[in-house]
Amino acid sequence: MSHWFLFALSTGLLAADISVDAPALLARRCGGCHNAKAKTAGLDLSNRETARSRGFDRILRRVQLGQMPPDGALSADEQQLLAKWIDAGAPWKTEKWWSLQALRHTPGTIDAFVNAKLRESGLAMSPPADPRTLIRRVTFDLTGLPPAPEEVEAFVNDKSPAAYESLVGRLLASPRYGERWARHWLDVVRFTESEGFERDEPREHAWPYRDYVIRSFNQDKPYIDFAREQIAGDLIHPGSRDAVIATGLLVFGPTDAVGLTSAVEREREAVREDQLEEMAGVVSQTFLGMTVNCARCHDHKFDPIPQRDYYRFKAALSGVWQPFADPASTELFPDGRVLDPSYDAKVTALRTRIRDVESRIAALHRQTRDWSAPKPIAQWTFEVDAHDQLGGLHANTTSKTEFRDGHLIGPASLITAPIAASVTAKTLEAWITVQKPLEKEINVFQIYNRSGYRGAASDGIQYAGGTNKQWRNLSTASFRTNDVGGAKESANAGERIHLAIAYDANGTITLYRNGTKYGEPYRPNNGANGLTQTYAAGDAVLKFNASADLSIDEARLYNTALTENQIASSYAAGPAPAQKPVPGAHFDERLTLHKELESLPAPDKAFAASPRDPGITRLLLRGDVNRKSDPVAPAGLSALPNSDFHLPADAPDEMRRRKLAEWIANADNPLFSRVIVNRIWAHHFGGGIVENPNDFGANGGSPSHPELLDSLAVELIQSRWSLKSLHRRIVLSAAYRQSSTFNKEAASKDSSNRLLWRYTPRRLEGEAVRDSMLAVSGKLNDKPGGPSFRPFKVTKPGGSYVKYEPLDGDDANFQRRSIYRMNVNTGGDPMLESLDCPVPAVKTPKRPTTTTPLQALSLMNNPLPVRLAKAFAERVAAETTSVDTQIDRAFALALGRSPKDHEREASRMLIKDQNLEALCWGLFNASEFLQLE
Amino acid sequence: MSHMDSFDYKPELNIRDGKPFDMPTFFGQAGNLYASPWKFQQRGQSGLYVSDLLPHLATQADKLTVIRSMVAKSANHMPAVAQMNTGFILSGFPAMGAWVTYALGTENQNLPAFVVLPDHRNYPWGGTLQWSNGFLPAAVQGTAFKSTGDPVPDLTSPSDQTRARQWVGAMNRTYAEQHPGESDLDARVRSYELAAQMQLSVPDAVNLDGESEDTKRRYGFDQTETSHMARRCVLARRLIERGVRFVQVYHGASGADWDAHGDLLGNHGKMAREYDQPVAALLNDLAERGLLKDTLVMGVTEFGRTPVAQGAGKKGRDHHPNCFTCWLAGAGVKPGIAYGASDDLGHQPAESPVTIYDFHATALHLLGLNHEKLTYYHNGIRRRLTDVHGHVVQGILA
Repeated sequence: MSHWFLFALSTGLLAADISVDAPALLARRCGGCHNAKAKTAGLDLSNRETARSRGFDRILRRVQLGQMPPDGALSADEQQLLAKWIDAGAPWKTEKWWSLQALRHTPGTIDAFVNAKLRESGLAMSPPADPRTLIRRVTFDLTGLPPAPEEVEAFVNDKSPAAYESLVGRLLASPRYGERWARHWLDVVRFTESEGFERDEPREHAWPYRDYVIRSFNQDKPYIDFAREQIAGDLIHPGSRDAVIATGLLVFGPTDAVGLTSAVEREREAVREDQLEEMAGVVSQTFLGMTVNCARCHDHKFDPIPQRDYYRFKAALSGVWQPFADPASTELFPDGRVLDPSYDAKVTALRTRIRDVESRIAALHRQTRDWSAPKPIAQWTFEVDAHDQLGGLHANTTSKTEFRDGHLIGPASLITAPIAASVTAKTLEAWITVQKPLEKEINVFQIYNRSGYRGAASDGIQYAGGTNKQWRNLSTASFRTNDVGGAKESANAGERIHLAIAYDANGTITLYRNGTKYGEPYRPNNGANGLTQTYAAGDAVLKFNASADLSIDEARLYNTALTENQIASSYAAGPAPAQKPVPGAHFDERLTLHKELESLPAPDKAFAASPRDPGITRLLLRGDVNRKSDPVAPAGLSALPNSDFHLPADAPDEMRRRKLAEWIANADNPLFSRVIVNRIWAHHFGGGIVENPNDFGANGGSPSHPELLDSLAVELIQSRWSLKSLHRRIVLSAAYRQSSTFNKEAASKDSSNRLLWRYTPRRLEGEAVRDSMLAVSGKLNDKPGGPSFRPFKVTKPGGSYVKYEPLDGDDANFQRRSIYRMNVNTGGDPMLESLDCPVPAVKTPKRPTTTTPLQALSLMNNPLPVRLAKAFAERVAAETTSVDTQIDRAFALALGRSPKDHEREASRMLIKDQNLEALCWGLFNASEFLQLE
Repeated sequence: MSHMDSFDYKPELNIRDGKPFDMPTFFGQAGNLYASPWKFQQRGQSGLYVSDLLPHLATQADKLTVIRSMVAKSANHMPAVAQMNTGFILSGFPAMGAWVTYALGTENQNLPAFVVLPDHRNYPWGGTLQWSNGFLPAAVQGTAFKSTGDPVPDLTSPSDQTRARQWVGAMNRTYAEQHPGESDLDARVRSYELAAQMQLSVPDAVNLDGESEDTKRRYGFDQTETSHMARRCVLARRLIERGVRFVQVYHGASGADWDAHGDLLGNHGKMAREYDQPVAALLNDLAERGLLKDTLVMGVTEFGRTPVAQGAGKKGRDHHPNCFTCWLAGAGVKPGIAYGASDDLGHQPAESPVTIYDFHATALHLLGLNHEKLTYYHNGIRRRLTDVHGHVVQGILA
């Protein structure tokens, strides 16, 4: 590997315990056959006594010869582990993996624990960092911004022993603290403000979650509440906006809009299954540090998570769906959950009043008629409203809906109430009047099931526009659409046309125009999708579309397939005759109510969990949706206490998620507190007590300081889950306050500084670099919260998907902190990306740090640093009078210190040869500016 | 790209043209069987079948290793493209180029190690996610060269920075000296030097003016239809010559691809006219310059097309991941052979199915990498390009 790829990869060196690892290996690779129950070949490797009966050496030999296990030899590392273990006398710890054991409280301070470990290795802490370094470190660490020069000087000059503690108190109380630490959290929960996959539509209502996290950190919301809200807040605190917003965590995974609306059910199921796997992954990794998702296809390879546990865990989340703005039917898939609980009530009240007026109109206007032909189940005459003359299938109108001379005038798109009884065989019939020769495709009259997805079902009368100019059956994904070979439509403006489509129970579809057959009847040759579609009671609705080309005069729905004769006589009888006029006051009242309804302000929404009936979860063999096995009830992980939720397999979402939240976020769950303590610790020190914050399983390794981890966890619980108390405890420790100076001897014993013989220096995150440039140049707009700023050009080049092209500008909105930048999948900022800001859809518990030429190019040439260097220079020039004071001020702002003599001299030369802006630009590119010491 | 219209000759499809055939399709509008409108011929010494859709590539048949039994997981563009690039249909995984760069580094530090040349019309489905580093370090991310303006983001300095860079260099060298043991501080000093070199190297690499008239003509610079792809193919060769580890050339983009739903003849005809000559010229050029022997060229598509028309009486084909064709050429593969076979209609693999995992495992093998050993630990799993699958396709190895 070339030498400029310097990755901070620290995955090796796990403090392994062979007395745990070797028995675990035997259980994993051999336990399938050689267990207490099966005892294949008489050998039981589940405990030391029976395992030794055959002699460990013999087992090792067979393993080394590759004879066992039969499904593939152990790797060289695994063989070595076994050999080493047997050599050591095969010590056998039967206890659970450390992270699954209950917390053990060993009293002691952070420094006592750290010093004890250091002493074991013959090491010691470094001396305390100087105050100038310390204030810069703690200010960046807690707020993500540099300290102002005045704050630095005040702190350096404050000799009181309480100075540091009061600094920490001030920083933790700053609203900047929440903005800083929320970003860490957003990395873990893959907060993403666009849907990903093919279309990558923006999620307009995702930002409230980001503000919720910032607010929660700033308010020091107890972590247990914070966690529970994000799993089931909508259920635990009904009516609370924040509690609904919090559940966004569950649904920020990518949305395969095309897959979810696929015409093929198997495809939709597979997509949904992947979505649930992603959701189970984020919940288990975030709160438990467990990769439950690894057990979808088989028992977990390394951790005690049987495959069944995955399905039980997944079942607890199976009622959660993403908000999903389907452009084809926005009323069914809203782009977010409405947060104002009274909003729905207001809408319903107004709709009821409109319905009342319409009923009065309808009563005056009801037509009576003897039906000689079979009676329809619904009839809309559109004379003065869209009321069903025969039953309750009324359509909602708006203030813009216009009825004139018995026509529904376009443009209009009306949807009825759901049908009361299911329909299979059916006839859709309509009279339309051509307003001008028909051009555009239009779905005049259709029936569709609302549930499930767009792919589920629809049929209806469609005019195929363009050059086709024919009538045809409109059907979802064209399942039942055929060119029937009817004559091209040539009706003139003013002409009335009668159209009908009869759907026979045997699958035959027959089109009629003006009472006679239109083209050839056909039976769609399309497998199950070609059968006559059943439209479900309480689900299916009808939809009318009128346009500038055509008005609708009357429509009828029958629950039989009318015969040719019946159609002919219906055509001959014609639409309903006009009725006597209704007093105008009724219409005025309706219009007023419509306007009131339409003037309701758009409700606040949040991209949050949208519950539906979870149904019954089944175990899937090999994780394959085509291989469903027996039902599983929602539950937690069996390796942890109290995992049985005592719920039936068909429990509603509400019970499932509530139980899950209470089980996960619980003082009795040892993972819950350990995992968050480790996350916080890792951000403060640049590395965790457990190296992989999302994996407390066997792959994640053992903690460097187990007693310390548990002690912090217990104290977190005792402090009523106050994260600020935890921060305070950490940053006040001597371990945190020590110098970062390199020590060759210590490094030779502990190069990665896991034992904390110094403070680990590191580069600032991309956001902190950008925010610092803004702060130093005086351009930072510290407006908190609200919709994200969007520094990109948004286009839809192909019409179907969204493209985000990054741009920069002097707009005040663009000068906000980086956390407020919209987190879209594909609009990444080249500079932030080069500084290792992750793709938002990737769960990132720990960011790598890289140093590349592309990063250097960005820091040098990206419009943002170039523009801000100029602003920085202008600021310095305005605040100073001479070249020397300019240099002092620029160094103080950017680096928090005075220039050294040689730096001052070099800077003078630079200003002389070029200008102050060049110096300011140089400071942005200085390693020291980018580094946390 | 449709397999039964390009590399997978299906005479049975001609015989049964217009006959019904029951199969589920992505858009659920299966029509009747639809014969290829292009004639097939055996080509070159090898006698490999290539249709008249690709007359130029046909002249290179003896260099091709065609796999006619490819199987993908998704019938949907973005996830299918993602699987071909990253092994996974979900986004967020590293692209193959990122894995290869992670494993092998680069031969030329003055250029990005993994370069993507997107179609001139647009990015592919999924955009930049298709060359993402996923959870690998950002350094191995693909760099998409833009066809206008700076090919690399922030390549050009807006003003003369010579003096200021000297100042930065001195500051950062001193800082690194004062902080021994911090290798990334030395790396930063070096990264600025490399950045400066890149500012010279990239414009030189993308400047095609020095290419001979003959080369330009062979690639098709002189024709409107081929000119864009021609430039990308020449650029690919120039980058390979300069030691770029992994170059990915796109032909087709979201909204402008080989997506022949309604009009196979028109769509594939146009796309093939753009693609055929430049790609053939690239293979020929690489061979003539002696580069093909240690360069692996992979001609891939996210899925094939259905043997049935989409919709009754229609002349297009729907997505078909169950069976399709990809080809390879160059280092380490047997030239002039077809591996695997589809059934009589090109509907399912009939022998030796090759999954995308197998394809990736094989490509990594050819680059000297064991797909089971090239791993990166992320969130509980030692991740691989090939997930938990994949076997090297021994039958195509030279």
